[in-house]
Amino acid sequence: MSHLNIAVIIKLEPDFSEGNVSYNPDGTLNRAETKNTLGPHSAIAAHAAFFGRVMYDAKVSIATMGPPIADLALQQAQQISDAEELHLYSDRLFAGADTLGTAEVLRVGIEKMQEKMDIVFSGHRASDGETGQTGPQTAWKLGFTFLGNVISYNVDVETRMVRAKRLISLQGLPNIIEEVEAPLPVFISIDPTYKSSYNTVSQRLAFQKYKKEAIQLSDNFKDYLKIFNAKELGVDETLVGLPGSPTIVYKVERVPKSTATRQAEVIDGSDPEQISKVVKKMKEALSAMVIK
Amino acid sequence: MAIIGGGSAGLAALKQLSHLGKQAILLEAGSKVGSKNLSGGILYSKKPKKGNVSNVEQLYENFLDDAPIERKITKYILHSTSQNKIYSMDLTTAHDYQANFGCSVLLNKLNSWFAVQAEEAAKKLGGGIIPGVHVKSINWNEQNDATIIQTDELDEFEVKAIIAADGVNSEVAETVGARKKFTPEQLYQGVKVIVKLPEDIINKRFGVSSDEGAAHLFAGDVTLNHIGGGFLYTNSDTLSVGAVYHFDSQISNPTEPYNLIDVLLKNPLISEFIKDDVPIKPKIDKNLPQEEQLRIRFAVAKLIKTWYEIREASLSSIGRDRLLKSGKYKTVEDIQKRLSAIQEQMTEKFGLTFGTDYLEDEYGAKLVPDGKRCRMRKPYFKNILFVGDAAGRGVFVGPRIEGLNVGIDDGVRAANAVAQALDKNDFSENSLGENYSKSVDESPFTTDMKEIDKDYLKIFLDAAKDVPKDIIGSRYGPILKMMSSGTMRGIAVKFANILGYDKLLPMIESEDTYVRVPIQLAERLGEPVLSSYSPTIPSIADRIANLNYNDDHLSHIKVLNPTSEYIKKMVTLCPAKCYTEESGKVIIQHEGCVDCGTCSQETEWKHPRGEKGIHYKYG
Repeated sequence: MSHLNIAVIIKLEPDFSEGNVSYNPDGTLNRAETKNTLGPHSAIAAHAAFFGRVMYDAKVSIATMGPPIADLALQQAQQISDAEELHLYSDRLFAGADTLGTAEVLRVGIEKMQEKMDIVFSGHRASDGETGQTGPQTAWKLGFTFLGNVISYNVDVETRMVRAKRLISLQGLPNIIEEVEAPLPVFISIDPTYKSSYNTVSQRLAFQKYKKEAIQLSDNFKDYLKIFNAKELGVDETLVGLPGSPTIVYKVERVPKSTATRQAEVIDGSDPEQISKVVKKMKEALSAMVIK
Repeated sequence: MAIIGGGSAGLAALKQLSHLGKQAILLEAGSKVGSKNLSGGILYSKKPKKGNVSNVEQLYENFLDDAPIERKITKYILHSTSQNKIYSMDLTTAHDYQANFGCSVLLNKLNSWFAVQAEEAAKKLGGGIIPGVHVKSINWNEQNDATIIQTDELDEFEVKAIIAADGVNSEVAETVGARKKFTPEQLYQGVKVIVKLPEDIINKRFGVSSDEGAAHLFAGDVTLNHIGGGFLYTNSDTLSVGAVYHFDSQISNPTEPYNLIDVLLKNPLISEFIKDDVPIKPKIDKNLPQEEQLRIRFAVAKLIKTWYEIREASLSSIGRDRLLKSGKYKTVEDIQKRLSAIQEQMTEKFGLTFGTDYLEDEYGAKLVPDGKRCRMRKPYFKNILFVGDAAGRGVFVGPRIEGLNVGIDDGVRAANAVAQALDKNDFSENSLGENYSKSVDESPFTTDMKEIDKDYLKIFLDAAKDVPKDIIGSRYGPILKMMSSGTMRGIAVKFANILGYDKLLPMIESEDTYVRVPIQLAERLGEPVLSSYSPTIPSIADRIANLNYNDDHLSHIKVLNPTSEYIKKMVTLCPAKCYTEESGKVIIQHEGCVDCGTCSQETEWKHPRGEKGIHYKYG
């Protein structure tokens, strides 16, 4: 069987769960006090890579750009995907990058990996103010076929073809699942609803085996970790960081609240009397509706 | 070869099969082994007078050194209660009787450890554990003699034999027709809460060292006239507080199971056992801007979380070592200083206060088979062997409850029988089934349930020697008199054995034994106990909200007759309050279900699909 090489690009993001997140008095995120974790969409991408590991015995590599503490995200992603190679691109020169500047670093990094990649995965988007462009831009820079919103995939390793299902949601229209086929290499951006499925006893046993291996590897993740600065990576300094970023955040504003056209009343949930008022209102509303 | 169910019995079977060099897979419905298991729980190692059992420490060679057990129980005390009066009897001798040890355990942790040991051995033979798979049916193809397993998650597959370890509500047993559902007379309903309490406080309060523990049992008015009782076991840094009642007693006089726990928690002795310092959240000023309210809420949540983490660690030997090793603190005093600093910040900056209360961390419920009444006489069907709870194998003799060890012993016996069948390539009932059945019949656990043991009986008579005879009442008077004399006791026990457990049980397991006699004991001989506070007990809704579920939009339970008398009782008896009655009809909301099986008698009851349903943190 010819071998399959998979890379995943991931991101370290703030942990928004209660007890871990902190806010400044002005309502903005207090990044210094907030714990960080592997982004939820990145985690889904890592699961998709692990599917390739279990089904096709693929070799998985992970790349991220970020501060030195982003090795935490790499460790978490390794624990999910059983990756053998972890890349962290960390340099002050990369700071202030927009999605295009980030994509450039990731492209160079992926091309520097031990193997030539067949599939690169990214999450749908980041949870801390990102626009879902890093993935597609990295794909474009790599020159890979881009498949977005993928909810499942399989690979024919002999013919080097990938077959994927894409979830297409357009406002006002029913969801469509599109099945596409493309020759390797491809770049796949994973839909948030993606879930791997393993349908036979032997697949499940392989799943258990690799999962255990992944936990063992991630316990010693530093053995697999390589950190690159701009020079070691050999990037063109005009294409990364601030100089490589055509977009500039010039002002952040709160989304203005639209003026309410309906009346709202705040109900105290602990008061049974108030609750019965709500139930009454709901009954009224329902009785006014004609149910066919 | 497949094992269905990853509890302690199923895992024992996998471990033993692997030990005998046989390939096997184990299917577990939970997303992880241990996530659906719940027990009281004390795990015993038995030292039988005659016969042999496979104890946990023989099956898992490194059990005593490495297994995550909680504490070895060294004190075993029975309390009779009447309001605030309590009369205590030391029954440690009964606990030690024919036992190498008995330790408190939490099944999520322990079964996970068993799973690692069993899987390691199984993997070498190409087998293993597959979690997240729910078996829905088993079929036999008569033409090619194949046994086919169908699941909700996987493509169907063939096996040679099956060990069914799918618990008290065994779907395997029911779907193939190996036995009927257990009836209320054959079951106990158990409910349990886990109370958090730092290790050092447990040691001091219960007078034990870090590896020792205490078990406290309760009878009397805390039973609310039900046949059964309460228990409190010490774990490493939690307490298990539970109530176990005969289910027919619950059916004839329904009481909300959570109320039975609440009565225990409100008993002054237990209130004092569980109490701790707890932070009380301040009310946030609703006039502040939304962002500020949110910021305060998150800041308070974070401080409380940190406070709990550091406090818990500072009050446990392992925790302190961990903090010191982390390099953040140089000495134990440093940890204390940090804790005070956080506490100061909590009170001064955010107006938090500290009070005496208790902290409940998990609620759970389970049916327990009463082996004396429901053990399967033939624990097999075609090429399926039933073990543990699935075969109805719980042992209740006196206050001591054994189940985990019985299941483990069954698992080993079933594995031995299957290994033999594989060698002979004969999986017929006459060979595989009968071999296993014979082995189970010879098990000391089975003979214990058939025969009354006079030495064990004597322990109770000795413990009760200070009890005035008139309390025991006219009913037990003559028996007691006979039992007190050495020679007569032998004759009496022989006579009792002729009568058999079946006839004696209704006499022994009566309201007299569990309710009236203990109340009188407490009133006449008991000492008053006072509690300094009254615990804030969470509502059942809060308890359910605090549990971890993977919701399935499909209900695994279907009500058969929404107006039957039995199903109406479920409104009261469902431990998760899933049932409500609306205009004479009972409806179910399955989302909060803890898969206990209380309602299974008159419902179409299945375990949830793979990975779905309740996921216990402690178990």
